[in-house]
Amino acid sequence: MKNKLMHLSNETMNVGFVKKVEALSGTSVRRCFQCGKCSAGCPMTGFMEHPPNRVVRLLQLGQGARVLAGRSIWYCASCETCTTRCPNKVNLAAIMDALRKLSWDADGPSKESYVQLANRLFIENIRTYGRQYELRLGAAFNMKSGQFLKDLMLGPKLLSRGKMKLFHQKNKNLPEIEAIFNRIEEMRKKGEAL
Amino acid sequence: MTPGKKNLLTYSYYPGCSLHASGREYDISTQALFKALNLGLKEVPDWFCCGATPAHNVDELLSLSLCAKNLSLADQVEGDLAVACAACFSRLKTTQHHLKEDDTKRHQVETAIAGPASLGKPVKHILEILARDFGLARLEESVKKPLLGLKVAAYYGCLLTRPPEVPELDDCEDPSIMEDILRALGAEPVKWSHRMECCGANFTLSRPGVVLKLSNAILTSAQEAKADCIMVACPLCHGNLDIRQESINKYGTPEGSLMGNIFGSDYIPGSEDGARREMPIFYVTQLAALAMGVPTDKLGLESVIVDPRPLLYEKNLL
Repeated sequence: MKNKLMHLSNETMNVGFVKKVEALSGTSVRRCFQCGKCSAGCPMTGFMEHPPNRVVRLLQLGQGARVLAGRSIWYCASCETCTTRCPNKVNLAAIMDALRKLSWDADGPSKESYVQLANRLFIENIRTYGRQYELRLGAAFNMKSGQFLKDLMLGPKLLSRGKMKLFHQKNKNLPEIEAIFNRIEEMRKKGEAL
Repeated sequence: MTPGKKNLLTYSYYPGCSLHASGREYDISTQALFKALNLGLKEVPDWFCCGATPAHNVDELLSLSLCAKNLSLADQVEGDLAVACAACFSRLKTTQHHLKEDDTKRHQVETAIAGPASLGKPVKHILEILARDFGLARLEESVKKPLLGLKVAAYYGCLLTRPPEVPELDDCEDPSIMEDILRALGAEPVKWSHRMECCGANFTLSRPGVVLKLSNAILTSAQEAKADCIMVACPLCHGNLDIRQESINKYGTPEGSLMGNIFGSDYIPGSEDGARREMPIFYVTQLAALAMGVPTDKLGLESVIVDPRPLLYEKNLL
Protein backbone atom coordinates (compact mmCIF):
# COMPACT_ATOMS: atom_id res chain seq x y z
CA MET A 1 0.00 0.00 0.00
CA LYS A 2 3.01 2.27 0.42
CA ASN A 3 2.96 4.44 -2.68
CA LYS A 4 -0.63 3.87 -3.61
CA LEU A 5 -3.25 6.54 -3.17
CA MET A 6 -6.03 5.58 -0.83
CA HIS A 7 -9.45 6.29 -2.26
CA LEU A 8 -12.04 6.96 0.38
CA SER A 9 -15.65 6.27 -0.35
CA ASN A 10 -18.59 4.41 1.14
CA GLU A 11 -17.35 1.29 -0.62
CA THR A 12 -13.76 1.44 0.67
CA MET A 13 -14.54 2.56 4.22
CA ASN A 14 -15.89 0.20 6.83
CA VAL A 15 -17.26 2.45 9.55
CA GLY A 16 -19.20 -0.34 11.24
CA PHE A 17 -15.94 -2.12 12.03
CA VAL A 18 -14.49 1.00 13.64
CA LYS A 19 -17.61 1.38 15.77
CA LYS A 20 -17.18 -2.20 16.95
CA VAL A 21 -13.56 -1.48 17.89
CA GLU A 22 -14.65 1.60 19.79
CA ALA A 23 -17.37 -0.30 21.65
CA LEU A 24 -15.03 -3.14 22.60
CA SER A 25 -12.17 -0.91 23.70
CA GLY A 26 -14.27 1.80 25.34
CA THR A 27 -12.16 4.48 23.68
CA SER A 28 -12.62 6.77 20.70
CA VAL A 29 -10.21 6.75 17.75
CA ARG A 30 -11.46 10.19 16.76
CA ARG A 31 -9.66 11.75 19.71
CA CYS A 32 -6.27 11.03 18.10
CA PHE A 33 -4.56 14.00 16.44
CA GLN A 34 -1.54 12.00 15.22
CA CYS A 35 1.17 13.40 17.48
CA GLY A 36 2.97 10.08 17.23
CA LYS A 37 3.97 9.78 20.90
CA CYS A 38 2.63 6.21 20.98
CA SER A 39 4.89 5.11 18.14
CA ALA A 40 7.86 7.00 19.59
CA GLY A 41 7.62 5.07 22.85
CA CYS A 42 6.58 1.71 21.42
CA PRO A 43 9.27 -0.97 21.89
CA MET A 44 7.81 -3.06 19.08
CA THR A 45 7.54 -0.58 16.15
CA GLY A 46 10.58 -2.21 14.56
CA PHE A 47 8.53 -5.36 14.07
CA MET A 48 5.36 -3.70 12.81
CA GLU A 49 4.44 -2.62 9.30
CA HIS A 50 1.93 -0.13 10.71
CA PRO A 51 3.26 1.68 13.80
CA PRO A 52 0.61 2.37 16.48
CA ASN A 53 -0.26 5.91 15.38
CA ARG A 54 -0.84 4.67 11.83
CA VAL A 55 -3.09 1.90 13.13
CA VAL A 56 -5.29 4.59 14.67
CA ARG A 57 -5.12 6.71 11.51
CA LEU A 58 -6.19 3.75 9.39
CA LEU A 59 -9.11 3.18 11.75
CA GLN A 60 -10.08 6.85 11.48
CA LEU A 61 -10.21 6.33 7.73
CA GLY A 62 -12.30 3.18 8.06
CA GLN A 63 -9.48 0.88 6.88
CA GLY A 64 -9.84 -1.84 9.50
CA ALA A 65 -9.19 -4.60 6.97
CA ARG A 66 -5.73 -3.23 6.19
CA VAL A 67 -4.85 -3.29 9.89
CA LEU A 68 -6.08 -6.85 10.39
CA ALA A 69 -4.25 -8.08 7.31
CA GLY A 70 -0.89 -7.05 8.78
CA ARG A 71 0.99 -8.42 11.74
CA SER A 72 1.14 -5.19 13.76
CA ILE A 73 -1.62 -6.12 16.18
CA TRP A 74 0.04 -9.44 17.02
CA TYR A 75 3.39 -7.80 17.64
CA CYS A 76 1.99 -5.46 20.30
CA ALA A 77 3.51 -6.50 23.63
CA SER A 78 0.72 -4.92 25.74
CA CYS A 79 3.33 -2.88 27.61
CA GLU A 80 0.82 0.00 27.92
CA THR A 81 3.41 2.69 27.11
CA CYS A 82 1.17 4.18 24.39
CA THR A 83 -1.87 4.38 26.67
CA THR A 84 0.24 5.91 29.43
CA ARG A 85 1.68 8.65 27.24
CA CYS A 86 -1.26 9.57 24.99
CA PRO A 87 -2.09 13.26 25.51
CA ASN A 88 -5.65 12.69 24.32
CA LYS A 89 -6.38 9.63 26.45
CA VAL A 90 -6.77 7.26 23.54
CA ASN A 91 -6.45 3.84 25.13
CA LEU A 92 -4.37 2.33 22.36
CA ALA A 93 -3.57 -0.86 24.26
CA ALA A 94 -7.33 -1.50 24.55
CA ILE A 95 -7.76 -0.76 20.83
CA MET A 96 -5.11 -3.39 20.11
CA ASP A 97 -6.96 -5.87 22.36
CA ALA A 98 -10.20 -5.13 20.50
CA LEU A 99 -8.56 -5.54 17.08
CA ARG A 100 -7.02 -8.85 18.13
CA LYS A 101 -10.36 -10.07 19.39
CA LEU A 102 -12.10 -9.16 16.13
CA SER A 103 -9.33 -10.78 14.11
CA TRP A 104 -9.45 -13.84 16.39
CA ASP A 105 -13.23 -14.18 16.03
CA ALA A 106 -12.94 -13.93 12.26
CA ASP A 107 -10.38 -16.73 12.61
CA GLY A 108 -7.46 -14.49 11.88
CA PRO A 109 -6.92 -13.16 8.38
CA SER A 110 -3.54 -11.99 9.76
CA LYS A 111 -0.11 -13.06 8.55
CA GLU A 112 1.13 -13.66 12.07
CA SER A 113 0.29 -17.18 13.14
CA TYR A 114 2.88 -18.00 15.84
CA VAL A 115 1.59 -15.44 18.32
CA GLN A 116 -1.97 -16.57 17.72
CA LEU A 117 -0.96 -20.19 18.20
CA ALA A 118 0.79 -19.35 21.48
CA ASN A 119 -2.28 -17.47 22.71
CA ARG A 120 -4.57 -20.33 21.74
CA LEU A 121 -2.43 -22.90 23.58
CA PHE A 122 -2.15 -20.66 26.64
CA ILE A 123 -5.93 -20.30 26.91
CA GLU A 124 -6.44 -24.02 26.22
CA ASN A 125 -4.07 -24.72 29.12
CA ILE A 126 -6.25 -22.67 31.48
CA ARG A 127 -9.34 -24.58 30.43
CA THR A 128 -7.70 -28.00 30.71
CA TYR A 129 -5.44 -27.63 33.73
CA GLY A 130 -6.51 -24.46 35.57
CA ARG A 131 -2.95 -23.31 35.92
CA GLN A 132 -0.28 -22.99 33.26
CA TYR A 133 1.53 -26.22 32.48
CA GLU A 134 4.67 -24.89 30.89
CA LEU A 135 6.06 -28.17 29.59
CA ARG A 136 2.90 -28.81 27.61
CA LEU A 137 2.81 -25.21 26.42
CA GLY A 138 6.34 -25.45 25.00
CA ALA A 139 5.96 -28.95 23.59
CA ALA A 140 2.60 -28.27 21.94
CA PHE A 141 3.90 -25.02 20.47
CA ASN A 142 6.89 -26.76 18.92
CA MET A 143 4.78 -29.58 17.51
CA LYS A 144 2.08 -27.34 16.06
CA SER A 145 4.40 -24.66 14.71
CA GLY A 146 6.71 -27.25 13.14
CA GLN A 147 9.75 -25.81 14.97
CA PHE A 148 10.55 -29.13 16.58
CA LEU A 149 13.99 -28.13 17.86
CA LYS A 150 13.10 -24.69 19.20
CA ASP A 151 14.60 -24.12 22.67
CA LEU A 152 15.21 -27.84 23.01
CA MET A 153 18.45 -27.24 24.89
CA LEU A 154 16.61 -25.14 27.47
CA GLY A 155 14.36 -28.04 28.48
CA PRO A 156 16.89 -30.08 30.50
CA LYS A 157 18.26 -26.91 32.12
CA LEU A 158 14.82 -25.84 33.31
CA LEU A 159 13.80 -29.35 34.37
CA SER A 160 16.96 -29.96 36.37
CA ARG A 161 16.52 -26.67 38.24
CA GLY A 162 12.89 -27.37 39.04
CA LYS A 163 11.84 -24.46 36.82
CA MET A 164 9.69 -26.72 34.69
CA LYS A 165 7.51 -29.42 36.16
CA LEU A 166 6.99 -32.77 34.46
CA PHE A 167 3.39 -33.01 35.60
CA HIS A 168 0.66 -30.43 35.84
CA GLN A 169 -0.73 -29.16 39.12
CA LYS A 170 -4.14 -30.37 40.26
CA ASN A 171 -6.90 -27.83 40.75
CA LYS A 172 -10.28 -28.30 42.42
CA ASN A 173 -11.84 -25.42 40.53
CA LEU A 174 -11.60 -27.03 37.09
CA PRO A 175 -15.41 -27.53 36.74
CA GLU A 176 -15.90 -23.89 37.72
CA ILE A 177 -13.37 -22.74 35.08
CA GLU A 178 -15.11 -24.82 32.43
CA ALA A 179 -18.43 -23.26 33.49
CA ILE A 180 -17.00 -19.75 33.08
CA PHE A 181 -15.87 -20.56 29.54
CA ASN A 182 -19.28 -22.05 28.73
CA ARG A 183 -21.27 -19.18 30.22
CA ILE A 184 -19.27 -16.65 28.20
CA GLU A 185 -19.88 -18.63 25.00
CA GLU A 186 -23.58 -18.77 25.82
CA MET A 187 -23.77 -15.02 26.47
CA ARG A 188 -22.15 -14.38 23.09
CA LYS A 189 -24.56 -16.73 21.36
CA LYS A 190 -27.50 -14.87 22.86
CA GLY A 191 -25.92 -11.55 21.89
CA GLU A 192 -25.63 -10.39 25.50
CA ALA A 193 -21.93 -9.74 25.20
CA LEU A 194 -19.50 -8.80 22.45
CA MET B 1 2.00 -19.01 61.84
CA THR B 2 3.59 -20.33 64.98
CA PRO B 3 1.16 -20.39 67.89
CA GLY B 4 1.81 -17.82 70.59
CA LYS B 5 3.71 -15.56 68.23
CA LYS B 6 1.47 -13.05 66.54
CA ASN B 7 2.30 -11.84 63.05
CA LEU B 8 2.78 -8.14 62.48
CA LEU B 9 0.48 -8.19 59.47
CA THR B 10 -1.21 -11.06 57.65
CA TYR B 11 -1.80 -11.39 53.97
CA SER B 12 -3.62 -13.73 51.66
CA TYR B 13 -1.32 -14.78 48.84
CA TYR B 14 -1.86 -15.23 45.10
CA PRO B 15 1.44 -16.58 43.75
CA GLY B 16 0.42 -17.12 40.13
CA CYS B 17 1.42 -19.94 37.77
CA SER B 18 5.02 -18.86 37.18
CA LEU B 19 5.87 -18.90 40.87
CA HIS B 20 5.08 -22.60 41.00
CA ALA B 21 7.29 -23.33 37.99
CA SER B 22 9.77 -21.13 36.12
CA GLY B 23 9.80 -18.53 38.88
CA ARG B 24 9.96 -20.91 41.82
CA GLU B 25 12.82 -19.02 43.50
CA TYR B 26 10.54 -15.96 43.69
CA ASP B 27 8.01 -18.03 45.66
CA ILE B 28 10.69 -19.60 47.89
CA SER B 29 12.32 -16.25 48.68
CA THR B 30 8.98 -14.48 49.22
CA GLN B 31 7.96 -17.07 51.81
CA ALA B 32 11.38 -16.87 53.49
CA LEU B 33 11.34 -13.07 53.54
CA PHE B 34 7.83 -12.82 54.99
CA LYS B 35 8.80 -15.28 57.71
CA ALA B 36 11.93 -13.29 58.52
CA LEU B 37 9.93 -10.05 58.72
CA ASN B 38 7.26 -11.72 60.85
CA LEU B 39 4.55 -11.20 58.25
CA GLY B 40 1.86 -13.85 57.76
CA LEU B 41 1.28 -15.25 54.28
CA LYS B 42 -1.48 -17.72 53.47
CA GLU B 43 -2.02 -19.01 49.96
CA VAL B 44 -5.50 -18.71 48.44
CA PRO B 45 -6.78 -22.31 48.12
CA ASP B 46 -7.09 -23.59 44.54
CA TRP B 47 -6.45 -20.29 42.82
CA PHE B 48 -6.12 -20.60 39.06
CA CYS B 49 -4.49 -18.75 36.18
CA CYS B 50 -5.39 -15.05 35.86
CA GLY B 51 -5.24 -15.34 32.07
CA ALA B 52 -2.19 -13.07 31.91
CA THR B 53 -1.54 -11.30 28.61
CA PRO B 54 -2.84 -13.96 26.16
CA ALA B 55 -6.37 -13.91 27.62
CA HIS B 56 -6.91 -10.15 27.55
CA ASN B 57 -5.21 -9.97 24.16
CA VAL B 58 -7.99 -11.85 22.47
CA ASP B 59 -10.85 -11.99 24.97
CA GLU B 60 -11.16 -9.27 27.57
CA LEU B 61 -14.36 -10.66 29.07
CA LEU B 62 -12.67 -14.01 29.71
CA SER B 63 -9.72 -12.28 31.33
CA LEU B 64 -11.94 -10.18 33.60
CA SER B 65 -14.04 -13.21 34.55
CA LEU B 66 -11.05 -15.38 35.45
CA CYS B 67 -9.65 -12.60 37.63
CA ALA B 68 -13.01 -11.84 39.24
CA LYS B 69 -13.41 -15.49 40.21
CA ASN B 70 -9.90 -15.53 41.68
CA LEU B 71 -10.67 -12.37 43.64
CA SER B 72 -13.74 -14.03 45.13
CA LEU B 73 -11.66 -17.12 46.01
CA ALA B 74 -9.25 -14.77 47.78
CA ASP B 75 -12.07 -13.63 50.06
CA GLN B 76 -11.86 -16.99 51.85
CA VAL B 77 -8.51 -16.00 53.30
CA GLU B 78 -8.06 -13.12 55.69
CA GLY B 79 -5.81 -10.15 54.93
CA ASP B 80 -5.04 -7.97 51.92
CA LEU B 81 -4.11 -9.92 48.80
CA ALA B 82 -0.34 -10.10 48.31
CA VAL B 83 0.69 -10.68 44.69
CA ALA B 84 4.27 -11.26 43.61
CA CYS B 85 3.95 -11.52 39.82
CA ALA B 86 3.69 -8.17 38.05
CA ALA B 87 1.38 -9.60 35.38
CA CYS B 88 -1.06 -11.17 37.87
CA PHE B 89 -0.93 -7.97 39.91
CA SER B 90 -1.75 -5.90 36.84
CA ARG B 91 -4.59 -8.17 35.73
CA LEU B 92 -6.23 -8.35 39.17
CA LYS B 93 -5.97 -4.58 39.66
CA THR B 94 -7.27 -3.95 36.13
CA THR B 95 -10.27 -6.15 36.85
CA GLN B 96 -11.09 -4.27 40.04
CA HIS B 97 -10.66 -0.95 38.25
CA HIS B 98 -12.76 -1.84 35.17
CA LEU B 99 -15.59 -3.51 37.08
CA LYS B 100 -15.89 -0.62 39.51
CA GLU B 101 -16.16 1.86 36.63
CA ASP B 102 -18.22 -0.06 34.10
CA ASP B 103 -21.60 -1.48 35.16
CA THR B 104 -22.22 -3.30 31.86
CA LYS B 105 -18.93 -5.17 32.13
CA ARG B 106 -19.58 -5.97 35.78
CA HIS B 107 -22.96 -7.38 34.91
CA GLN B 108 -21.46 -9.56 32.16
CA VAL B 109 -18.70 -10.80 34.44
CA GLU B 110 -21.16 -11.56 37.22
CA THR B 111 -23.18 -13.63 34.77
CA ALA B 112 -20.01 -15.45 33.67
CA ILE B 113 -18.91 -16.33 37.21
CA ALA B 114 -22.50 -16.85 38.38
CA GLY B 115 -22.04 -14.77 41.47
CA PRO B 116 -21.31 -11.28 42.69
CA ALA B 117 -17.94 -9.75 41.77
CA SER B 118 -16.03 -9.06 44.93
CA LEU B 119 -13.96 -5.94 44.47
CA GLY B 120 -13.32 -4.75 48.00
CA LYS B 121 -10.11 -6.55 48.93
CA PRO B 122 -6.97 -4.42 48.43
CA VAL B 123 -4.57 -6.10 45.99
CA LYS B 124 -0.97 -5.30 46.85
CA HIS B 125 2.30 -6.04 45.14
CA ILE B 126 5.19 -7.29 47.28
CA LEU B 127 7.05 -4.01 46.63
CA GLU B 128 4.13 -2.06 48.06
CA ILE B 129 3.99 -4.30 51.13
CA LEU B 130 7.71 -3.85 51.79
CA ALA B 131 7.90 -0.11 51.15
CA ARG B 132 4.53 1.06 52.50
CA ASP B 133 2.82 -1.48 54.78
CA PHE B 134 5.98 -2.69 56.48
CA GLY B 135 7.68 0.63 55.86
CA LEU B 136 11.13 1.65 54.66
CA ALA B 137 12.27 2.75 58.14
CA ARG B 138 11.31 -0.57 59.69
CA LEU B 139 12.85 -2.40 56.74
CA GLU B 140 16.13 -0.56 57.30
CA GLU B 141 16.03 -1.42 61.02
CA SER B 142 15.47 -5.11 60.29
CA VAL B 143 18.52 -5.44 58.05
CA LYS B 144 21.06 -7.82 59.56
CA LYS B 145 23.49 -8.03 56.65
CA PRO B 146 23.50 -4.79 54.62
CA LEU B 147 24.22 -5.31 50.93
CA LEU B 148 27.18 -2.94 51.00
CA GLY B 149 28.97 -2.32 47.73
CA LEU B 150 26.38 -4.10 45.60
CA LYS B 151 25.49 -1.96 42.60
CA VAL B 152 22.00 -2.88 41.46
CA ALA B 153 20.05 -1.83 38.38
CA ALA B 154 16.39 -1.76 39.47
CA TYR B 155 14.23 -2.94 36.57
CA TYR B 156 10.50 -2.10 36.69
CA GLY B 157 9.37 -3.36 33.32
CA CYS B 158 5.90 -2.55 32.07
CA LEU B 159 3.07 -3.62 34.26
CA LEU B 160 4.16 -2.46 37.72
CA THR B 161 3.48 1.17 36.86
CA ARG B 162 1.47 1.23 33.64
CA PRO B 163 -1.20 2.32 32.81
CA PRO B 164 -1.01 4.98 35.55
CA GLU B 165 -4.58 4.71 36.86
CA VAL B 166 -4.47 0.94 37.42
CA PRO B 167 -1.53 -0.24 39.55
CA GLU B 168 -1.36 2.85 41.80
CA LEU B 169 2.09 1.68 42.82
CA ASP B 170 4.29 4.60 41.88
CA ASP B 171 4.86 7.29 39.25
CA CYS B 172 4.35 5.86 35.75
CA GLU B 173 7.43 7.45 34.17
CA ASP B 174 9.84 8.00 37.05
CA PRO B 175 9.15 5.56 39.88
CA SER B 176 11.47 5.17 42.85
CA ILE B 177 9.96 2.42 44.99
CA MET B 178 12.58 -0.20 44.00
CA GLU B 179 15.48 2.21 44.50
CA ASP B 180 14.08 3.16 47.92
CA ILE B 181 13.96 -0.47 48.95
CA LEU B 182 17.50 -1.05 47.67
CA ARG B 183 18.81 1.90 49.70
CA ALA B 184 17.06 0.59 52.80
CA LEU B 185 18.83 -2.75 52.25
CA GLY B 186 22.20 -0.99 52.05
CA ALA B 187 22.70 -1.58 48.34
CA GLU B 188 23.54 1.07 45.79
CA PRO B 189 20.96 1.62 43.01
CA VAL B 190 22.54 2.78 39.74
CA LYS B 191 21.06 5.33 37.37
CA TRP B 192 20.31 3.76 34.03
CA SER B 193 18.21 4.21 30.93
CA HIS B 194 16.21 1.03 30.42
CA ARG B 195 14.43 0.46 33.73
CA MET B 196 10.97 1.05 32.24
CA GLU B 197 11.46 -0.61 28.84
CA CYS B 198 9.70 -3.82 27.85
CA CYS B 199 11.70 -7.08 27.98
CA GLY B 200 9.60 -8.81 25.29
CA ALA B 201 7.31 -10.47 27.82
CA ASN B 202 5.37 -13.45 26.53
CA PHE B 203 6.96 -13.38 23.07
CA THR B 204 9.45 -15.75 24.68
CA LEU B 205 7.25 -18.62 23.49
CA SER B 206 6.06 -17.38 20.10
CA ARG B 207 8.83 -15.09 18.85
CA PRO B 208 12.01 -15.45 20.93
CA GLY B 209 13.83 -13.12 18.52
CA VAL B 210 11.80 -10.23 19.93
CA VAL B 211 12.90 -11.10 23.46
CA LEU B 212 16.54 -11.39 22.41
CA LYS B 213 16.46 -7.93 20.90
CA LEU B 214 14.65 -6.12 23.71
CA SER B 215 16.34 -7.95 26.58
CA ASN B 216 19.71 -7.40 24.95
CA ALA B 217 19.11 -3.64 25.12
CA ILE B 218 18.23 -3.90 28.81
CA LEU B 219 21.28 -6.01 29.71
CA THR B 220 23.56 -3.72 27.71
CA SER B 221 22.18 -0.62 29.36
CA ALA B 222 22.63 -2.11 32.85
CA GLN B 223 26.22 -3.03 32.06
CA GLU B 224 26.93 0.45 30.68
CA ALA B 225 25.72 1.87 33.98
CA LYS B 226 28.28 -0.40 35.70
CA ALA B 227 25.67 -2.37 37.59
CA ASP B 228 26.73 -5.69 39.17
CA CYS B 229 23.28 -7.18 38.78
CA ILE B 230 19.65 -6.42 37.93
CA MET B 231 16.75 -6.57 40.38
CA VAL B 232 13.29 -7.49 39.08
CA ALA B 233 9.83 -8.02 40.58
CA CYS B 234 8.24 -10.07 37.79
CA PRO B 235 8.83 -13.72 36.89
CA LEU B 236 8.47 -13.03 33.16
CA CYS B 237 11.10 -10.27 33.18
CA HIS B 238 13.32 -12.62 35.16
CA GLY B 239 12.79 -15.46 32.72
CA ASN B 240 13.66 -13.29 29.73
CA LEU B 241 16.73 -11.66 31.25
CA ASP B 242 18.03 -14.80 32.99
CA ILE B 243 17.03 -17.82 30.91
CA ARG B 244 17.62 -16.07 27.56
CA GLN B 245 20.84 -14.36 28.67
CA GLU B 246 23.15 -17.11 27.52
CA SER B 247 21.84 -17.02 23.96
CA ILE B 248 21.96 -13.21 23.94
CA ASN B 249 25.58 -13.28 25.10
CA LYS B 250 26.63 -16.04 22.74
CA TYR B 251 24.80 -15.22 19.57
CA GLY B 252 23.71 -11.60 19.99
CA THR B 253 20.39 -10.44 18.60
CA PRO B 254 19.02 -11.67 15.29
CA GLU B 255 19.75 -8.39 13.51
CA GLY B 256 22.77 -7.32 15.53
CA SER B 257 23.28 -3.69 16.49
CA LEU B 258 25.18 -1.09 14.48
CA MET B 259 27.92 -0.90 17.11
CA GLY B 260 27.88 -4.68 17.28
CA ASN B 261 28.47 -4.91 13.55
CA ILE B 262 31.39 -2.51 13.68
CA PHE B 263 33.09 -3.73 16.85
CA GLY B 264 31.99 -7.35 16.86
CA SER B 265 28.74 -8.55 18.34
CA ASP B 266 30.02 -8.54 21.92
CA TYR B 267 31.06 -4.91 22.05
CA ILE B 268 29.54 -3.07 25.02
CA PRO B 269 30.36 0.61 25.25
CA GLY B 270 31.27 1.70 28.77
CA SER B 271 32.63 -1.63 29.95
CA GLU B 272 36.35 -1.98 30.48
CA ASP B 273 37.34 -4.20 27.59
CA GLY B 274 34.14 -3.83 25.61
CA ALA B 275 33.20 -7.40 26.45
CA ARG B 276 29.85 -8.54 27.69
CA ARG B 277 29.80 -10.20 31.08
CA GLU B 278 27.24 -12.32 32.82
CA MET B 279 24.68 -10.27 34.68
CA PRO B 280 22.96 -12.06 37.57
CA ILE B 281 19.24 -11.29 37.87
CA PHE B 282 17.74 -11.17 41.38
CA TYR B 283 14.19 -11.00 42.57
CA VAL B 284 13.55 -8.18 45.04
CA THR B 285 12.63 -10.79 47.64
CA GLN B 286 15.95 -12.63 47.18
CA LEU B 287 17.97 -9.48 47.87
CA ALA B 288 15.73 -8.42 50.75
CA ALA B 289 15.81 -11.87 52.36
CA LEU B 290 19.60 -11.97 51.95
CA ALA B 291 19.85 -8.65 53.77
CA MET B 292 17.55 -9.94 56.53
CA GLY B 293 20.05 -12.70 57.22
CA VAL B 294 17.99 -15.56 55.78
CA PRO B 295 20.35 -18.52 55.15
CA THR B 296 21.52 -18.44 51.53
CA ASP B 297 20.27 -21.95 50.82
CA LYS B 298 16.71 -20.72 51.36
CA LEU B 299 16.77 -18.09 48.62
CA GLY B 300 16.45 -20.42 45.66
CA LEU B 301 19.79 -19.18 44.29
CA GLU B 302 20.55 -22.63 42.90
CA SER B 303 17.61 -22.60 40.47
CA VAL B 304 18.51 -19.51 38.47
CA ILE B 305 20.46 -19.99 35.24
CA VAL B 306 23.04 -17.19 35.54
CA ASP B 307 24.71 -18.21 38.82
CA PRO B 308 24.70 -15.20 41.19
CA ARG B 309 26.88 -16.87 43.81
CA PRO B 310 30.29 -15.76 42.45
CA LEU B 311 29.12 -12.14 42.61
CA LEU B 312 27.79 -12.50 46.16
CA TYR B 313 31.00 -14.25 47.19
CA GLU B 314 33.06 -11.44 45.69
CA LYS B 315 31.02 -8.86 47.66
CA ASN B 316 31.31 -10.89 50.87
CA LEU B 317 27.59 -11.49 51.05
CA LEU B 318 27.52 -15.26 50.82
